[in-house]
Amino acid sequence: MASGAVGAGAFRARLADPAARRAAINQGVIYVVLIVGAAASILPFLYTVSVSLMNLTEATGGRALPATPQWSNYVEAWQDAQFSLYFMNSVKITLISVGGALVFCALAAYAFAQMEFPGKTFLFTLLLSTLMLPEAITWVPNFITVSWLGRISPVPWLNNWPSLTIPFMASAFGIFLLRQFFQQIPRELWDSAQIDGSGHLRYLVRVVLPLSSAAVMTLVLFGFVGAWNALAWPILVTTTPDWRPISYGLLSFLDEAGALLHLQMAGAIITMLPIVVLYFFTQRHFIEGIATTGLKG
Amino acid sequence: MLLAYSFLAPAFIIIGLFGLFPLAFAAYESTLRGLNKIVGSYDGLGNYVKAVDNLIYIVTFWIAVGLIYFAVSTIARAVQEHRQEQTNAMRWALPATLTAAGTALFARFIFVLLPEMLLIPSKLRGQNNTQEAFRSLVVETWWLPKVQVALWIAVVLLAGGVVWGLFVNRTVARDSREPIYFVPFFSAGISLVSAAALIWLTWTEINAAYAGALEEGVGLELWSQIVTISAGFLLLLLAWRLWESAGLRSSNTGMAMRLVGAVALMAGAWVLIAELPRVVSAGDEDWWNGLMATVFYVLGTVPIQLGLALILAALLFQKIRGQTLFRVLYFLPYVAPFVGTAAVFRIIFSNRPTAPLNSLLDLFGAEPLLWLSEPAGIIQMITGGRIDLGPILSGPSLALVAIMIYGIWTYVGFDTVIFLAGLGAIPNELYEVADIDGAGGWAQFRHVTLPLLSPTIYFLSLYAVIGTFKAFNHIFVLRQAAALGTTDTASIVIFQAFKRDTRYGYASALAILLLLIIMVITLVNNRIASRRVFYG
Repeated sequence: MASGAVGAGAFRARLADPAARRAAINQGVIYVVLIVGAAASILPFLYTVSVSLMNLTEATGGRALPATPQWSNYVEAWQDAQFSLYFMNSVKITLISVGGALVFCALAAYAFAQMEFPGKTFLFTLLLSTLMLPEAITWVPNFITVSWLGRISPVPWLNNWPSLTIPFMASAFGIFLLRQFFQQIPRELWDSAQIDGSGHLRYLVRVVLPLSSAAVMTLVLFGFVGAWNALAWPILVTTTPDWRPISYGLLSFLDEAGALLHLQMAGAIITMLPIVVLYFFTQRHFIEGIATTGLKG
Repeated sequence: MLLAYSFLAPAFIIIGLFGLFPLAFAAYESTLRGLNKIVGSYDGLGNYVKAVDNLIYIVTFWIAVGLIYFAVSTIARAVQEHRQEQTNAMRWALPATLTAAGTALFARFIFVLLPEMLLIPSKLRGQNNTQEAFRSLVVETWWLPKVQVALWIAVVLLAGGVVWGLFVNRTVARDSREPIYFVPFFSAGISLVSAAALIWLTWTEINAAYAGALEEGVGLELWSQIVTISAGFLLLLLAWRLWESAGLRSSNTGMAMRLVGAVALMAGAWVLIAELPRVVSAGDEDWWNGLMATVFYVLGTVPIQLGLALILAALLFQKIRGQTLFRVLYFLPYVAPFVGTAAVFRIIFSNRPTAPLNSLLDLFGAEPLLWLSEPAGIIQMITGGRIDLGPILSGPSLALVAIMIYGIWTYVGFDTVIFLAGLGAIPNELYEVADIDGAGGWAQFRHVTLPLLSPTIYFLSLYAVIGTFKAFNHIFVLRQAAALGTTDTASIVIFQAFKRDTRYGYASALAILLLLIIMVITLVNNRIASRRVFYG
């Protein structure tokens, strides 16, 4: 990989010069370390793919590769684990919560970034302080709150979409992320928008949001991953599979499938595939979003 | 201005209801007995005593002391500035105190409202349990005189304070760019009120504990424990101050004397704090084991994870072909849904003799291991298991080590990406200057890269440590019954107390303790960081 383009003659000439030789060895060592690291990151995934294509004896027998790929494992896992239900549930939950988060976080972030009002710093500090709260502290109170809201509101909350989506429709993280981007938009744009007779809301939708599409994209991606990964809270608020998301679905399938390793791994692949595909297509947004927010958070 | 508030309102309603209100709710819930969803009677610090025994009295006492110290020092600073710079800080005192009192009364309102609300399900018992009946009871409870009185007192004081504050703000803005002293007075007021509440609670609780002990005719070692352990902490504090002041001394002998003194004080402190384990052993074993597992997890993952990531990032930052590809691959374990990856690791670390790791062991002629199902500590296993080393010395269980390996595997890529961003922020000229000065690769890394990267290192280590205390998902997937709970970290213990045992009050008390631990870690980290971290 490293010296693929270097011809044999040039290679020998470089070996004759001690400084160049040391540089070449250094380069070689760097590549070896990097490749070992990369192998460690992806080997478990390759192993998963391999096991998911084996039959039962191969999977439990400790083989490395299947003799003939058993594509039917995926169909079997899909049906056994009711993945069509869980998949749809997760998609619905994701759409509702990310949609809500986008609206509410964008509004709040816009107020923090572009408007002046008394108590701004205080409210912002209050908001950021919720980042420190461990999720565990919200379990008991939120479970009680949610079951209460279900008894007084027209829609039930437990075992239903409201409990799984509404608490995640606004987050300090999302507001913070969007505010960072909204702040960079020059004030002159607002002045000219005002001259054109545009109000705050229209300015936000027409100008600010399109200009911060990178941040919006990051927020959507994070919301998607978060909803796909949610586990503790869905376990607490669902008792029936009707609204159970895919993580919980896979976890119960792992316990049910017991010794059927090949089906377990097919289920794991089915669960991971959407996120991994999404990641490969949008990896720049993903990585840069994490790098910028991580450093400033 | 109104528009701004209406933009904020939806987000703040959701965050307030599901992010801030739970804090007060958990605090209230943690003082209730309650089992199996039945609302329990008031139990004071009972749940905390169950968890950490008498230590809780010491903790609440010291929190109260800390709050008072904080309040006094903020007020003192404001007063000092007021004298020196002729600013008019004092006119903020009254509105801020009024607002603080209003906020405290609002908290009291929640504590008046919650018990009445939580009683509703039991009122419904025997009647037909329809949604209308429930709803009308909720409305009825809301209009109870004492609830309304508590609410309106709080609202009036709060509104009065805020309006007064705004009024003062308006007059200030005219004359000068004088700083606004609202926040210091406000936080000082809040601290004083909560300190008073904590002291009152601790005092009544201790009295109740003594009354109970007298009735049953057993002695209570409460005071001796409180005094010795508190004295230990005080000595530790003193030693720390001395240690700090040693750095300022110019003469070597003075510095050495101070350092010796600090060490001596520290030794004395630890002797006194040695009382702690005896108190601790009377607490909840699951909870202490959970905390210990968490500490093992932090010590075993954070340094390795950060070290590996730093190496990878430093190498990747050289002019390397395929940099993007490497970055994408390293990041993959962090992005992939963790239930999926944990499922894979469940098989890799399976106890079957033909599982990947066990076949690898077989290749070297070693016996297969139980991995995720092994409750024995690794140091215990290495020493052959003949001597019982006790829970701390025998180290984390092999099952926990397997989970740590999974944790490292997931987070190295994340850390690498953030390190890369940090490396990218270091100006290139510094390296050019270092080159001219003849600094080699290692010297450049040591004297340019590391100091300039220290904010990133600090951020990542804090993030990783707090993340471990919050960690739930992957441990929940990887834990096996056969590991006998040795892999259960703090969050898992809380979850089990809530979901499996339905001990609502107890789970809330544990969660509040977890929050306290996280706050202390953050504070200590900030203290250290303000000195060690170099913000270029």
